[in-house]
Amino acid sequence: MKWPESIPIAQVALAFITGLMLLVSLIAAFSAYQTRNVAHELGQDIQNAAQSELSMAIERIERQTESQADKLSLWGETRQQLILPEYYTYWRDQRVYESGILHNHLARAALYERSGLLLAPNPTKNSFPARLTNELLTRQPPSWLTHEAGAIVLYRLFPVYNNEEQQALLGYGLIRLDFMAALLSQDGFHSIDIKSVKIALVPGKTIAPSELKAHLSYGVLASHGQDQFTSILSNTLLALFVVLLAAALLAYTTYSRLLVRPLRQLSQDIDAMQRGHVGQPPSRSLPMRVSELENIRRSLHDYQLQLRELHGSLEHQNRVFHSQARQDALTGCHNRRAYEEDWEHFRQGLENSPQGVAFLLFDCDRFKTINDTYGHTKGDRVLCLIVDALVMALRANDRLYRLGGDEFATFMSHTSPAQARQIAQRCQSLIDAANFKNLGINEPIGISIGIAYCEAELCTTVDELPKQADIAMYTAKQPGRNRIALFGEDMDRATQTLVASRETSALFQALAAPGKIEMHYQAIYVLPERRVDYYEALARIRHHDELIMPGAFLPVVSNRRLETEFDMAVLHQIDADLSSGQLPPGCGISINLSAQSISRSDVVSHLLELSRHNARHPLMLEITETSLITQMSEVSSHLEMLRSVNYRIAMDDFGTGYSPLRYLADLPVDVVKFDISLVNKLDQDNRAGRVVTDFARMMSEVGYSLVAEGVETESVLRKVESLGINHVQGYLLARPLPLAELVASHALPENDKATRKSA
Amino acid sequence: MRAYLICLLLSAFPAWAHAAIVHLQARPGIQASAEYLEGQRDKPAVLLLHGFLQTRDFPTVATLARGLRDAGYPVLSPTLSLNIPNRSQSLACEAVHRHSLNDDVSEIAHWVGWLKSHGHRSIVLIGHSFGSMQLLAYLDAKPDSAVKGYFGASLIETRIGRTPRPSLMAQLKKQAQNAKGELVSQQVSFCKKYLSTPDALATYVRWDQARTLAALKKSPVRMQLLMGDADEMIGATWIKALEQAQIPILVLPGASHFMDGAHEFDLLDNALKFLVYVQPSPSR
Repeated sequence: MKWPESIPIAQVALAFITGLMLLVSLIAAFSAYQTRNVAHELGQDIQNAAQSELSMAIERIERQTESQADKLSLWGETRQQLILPEYYTYWRDQRVYESGILHNHLARAALYERSGLLLAPNPTKNSFPARLTNELLTRQPPSWLTHEAGAIVLYRLFPVYNNEEQQALLGYGLIRLDFMAALLSQDGFHSIDIKSVKIALVPGKTIAPSELKAHLSYGVLASHGQDQFTSILSNTLLALFVVLLAAALLAYTTYSRLLVRPLRQLSQDIDAMQRGHVGQPPSRSLPMRVSELENIRRSLHDYQLQLRELHGSLEHQNRVFHSQARQDALTGCHNRRAYEEDWEHFRQGLENSPQGVAFLLFDCDRFKTINDTYGHTKGDRVLCLIVDALVMALRANDRLYRLGGDEFATFMSHTSPAQARQIAQRCQSLIDAANFKNLGINEPIGISIGIAYCEAELCTTVDELPKQADIAMYTAKQPGRNRIALFGEDMDRATQTLVASRETSALFQALAAPGKIEMHYQAIYVLPERRVDYYEALARIRHHDELIMPGAFLPVVSNRRLETEFDMAVLHQIDADLSSGQLPPGCGISINLSAQSISRSDVVSHLLELSRHNARHPLMLEITETSLITQMSEVSSHLEMLRSVNYRIAMDDFGTGYSPLRYLADLPVDVVKFDISLVNKLDQDNRAGRVVTDFARMMSEVGYSLVAEGVETESVLRKVESLGINHVQGYLLARPLPLAELVASHALPENDKATRKSA
Repeated sequence: MRAYLICLLLSAFPAWAHAAIVHLQARPGIQASAEYLEGQRDKPAVLLLHGFLQTRDFPTVATLARGLRDAGYPVLSPTLSLNIPNRSQSLACEAVHRHSLNDDVSEIAHWVGWLKSHGHRSIVLIGHSFGSMQLLAYLDAKPDSAVKGYFGASLIETRIGRTPRPSLMAQLKKQAQNAKGELVSQQVSFCKKYLSTPDALATYVRWDQARTLAALKKSPVRMQLLMGDADEMIGATWIKALEQAQIPILVLPGASHFMDGAHEFDLLDNALKFLVYVQPSPSR
């Protein structure tokens, strides 16, 4: 049996009162039991008293009869009757009574001659034996009881002598006593019911007085005192029980009114408070009569008032916090948390009321460069102006969310693709009209907008909208675009596929599981010998036995800001390849790294660890120039440290990006790799070609080691050679090879290698 | 003084002092008893008789007997049987009184004879109350020659209340003649209802004051009466009648019928004086 953890006070009171009643009942039962015992003992005492009274009465009769016999025996007149019996009847009927020897006519006396003959016949109703038999004469004691003519009779025989010295026997006397009548006439019966006394004696049978008790039966008088005692006690117990019952009911009622109800009310108030129902103050309940409870009620009231105030304050603060938590501190627009909540809420609302939904993703063009160039303060001001313009351009009920950095979003209901595009164009117009020059920024600042739209009938695909807008944003960011792209309309299929879910999934799987990235190595040749100097490690992603090329996943890496994670994965794979020992000794490896990764200490730490391969495989780091280096000094310091462990630094994709000349000036660069777009200019005999040619010659003369990338034609190769560029890379000479093929190619004779190059 | 006397008597208690209960057959079936207190042989024996329906244990008689015995006089103190065998208790007035004065006189004669048979040649009769009258009846009949004196204390005739004695006697005579065993209830002495046979009762009723005075006058022996002037049992004129009849009488001032209290000694003293007066003859 499991006891309840808590019991209501009403049940406690009920249990207490019930227990009290049970206790009283037990006491009453015990008292009744004791009373019954006392009554029984009293009854036994009465029984004993009755027996004693009866015995005493019988004994008294016997003694009286014996005394009468003695007196009669010694009485001179008795002797006279035996000598002169002429007036015997007078003696028998009067003298014995007048003399006081016999008290009444219940007792009779008769005299017998010495021979035993009756002196004179007695009246019929008091018949004496006509003759005393020897049995009677010799009976000891000389008295007996017999049942005669319906009456119990006691006889007492006595001898009569001639004098007190008993010298001569004159005759006999016999006293006949109506025993039952004599017994019933006795005084001193208090306990015995005298009417119930019976002597069971067979008529004619004779017994000695000592045998009388065996033939006696009697009843006792009900003791008035005992009955009164029992009655008083019973009535007292009953009255006590009734009084206690009434007292218990009164106590329970009082207890309930004074304690249970107030406590229950307090409990309900506390429960209501626990449930958050603080609107009903306890003060409205009636005052409690128990001072302690009243104090509790007042305290509870005060506490509840304080709680209400606190609750109100908390609600206000919660609202503030809620607002602040969902508001971007810089721009004042909604932040990413607000976006996630609103988007989830909005998405759920669409299930009940389908409608056309547009998702707009905004991204400030070249904001990092602006930030880096003009400082974060001005960058923040730029963001605020952009937000002001966007908010102004959006519809009244549309919300603008800052997802992070310079990326903003909004989603619109009850709209169409044309309306969404129109709003996007209005956003761009307002931003274009914004006065950034007041901030000292002369460069044009614009935003790219990716739009995704979902018809009301296709609301189930609304979850795809952010990703689709992201893809559209990527399209809008592409050079030559008009910076607004609507997913599905402004994107070719390749682009859509490029950042479609398959590639994104493959990228994330590759980042999560080492080994998914597969390094291909493209040879870089020394001119004019056209000898392989080292290899550039190029990443591929193996996905379901299919190789995904960098052009498919690098936009995702860039868009997702996954450069560092991706570079770390690449470093792990290169480390694995180098550690495998398959590459021939002396074979240098060039590793591509984003500028952001160089600024990360963990990447630098990994590079320092990777430098252990420098002795066997000279390592080169190619810094992608297209990315903006925001922390120039830190990057420069890291590169200097890496150079100290024999890394060579190359500026990759030179000719694209932001500030190549500044990078060359500030960073410890050893090698400059001309971007393929610049290399292609070499084949053109125009001003651009000449600029590139002169610039290449100048770089070479300054001491930079130059690498021409993307050389695919013989004419370009010759032009590169003529410019004095000492390294060349391109499909003309070698395509990127997997490690196994690279190892295999090194095992082939030289003519076979030439065959493979031409292939 | 009395205490001195008692002490003297106890110290002088003679060795001859001896008491015995003696019996005699008064009539067939009726035995009577007496207490015999031995005394000095040279002194006259005293036959001391109790009053009406009493026994020798009556205090006046018993005290006197012991006083006489202490004085050296042999004392025989009988209890008249009154036709009760070995009567030892006073007889109730309501009992059937079948005794007559003749029976009483006969028993007195028997006891006088018993004294004589025991060697007493000089006998003095001392009676109290009705016993004095019964002794007087004995003297009136045929007293033994050994009887030398008569001392009657509180002598009383047979009193019958207001019933006229002649008519009563006539009635008793008539009833006695019927001989049906009828019992008569009559006031006698202190008994309001004295139940008796007519002839037996008549023997007592016959002894009125006149008969008593006559018997006194012709007493053959020396006599002395001792009366109390406070005796309420006797008639108011009885003492005076006795004095007028010149009967030797001493009247004790203040003494009652029973001579009790201090008068017990007066009774004894006077009895002793009378015994001295009688001058007993040598007993042998």
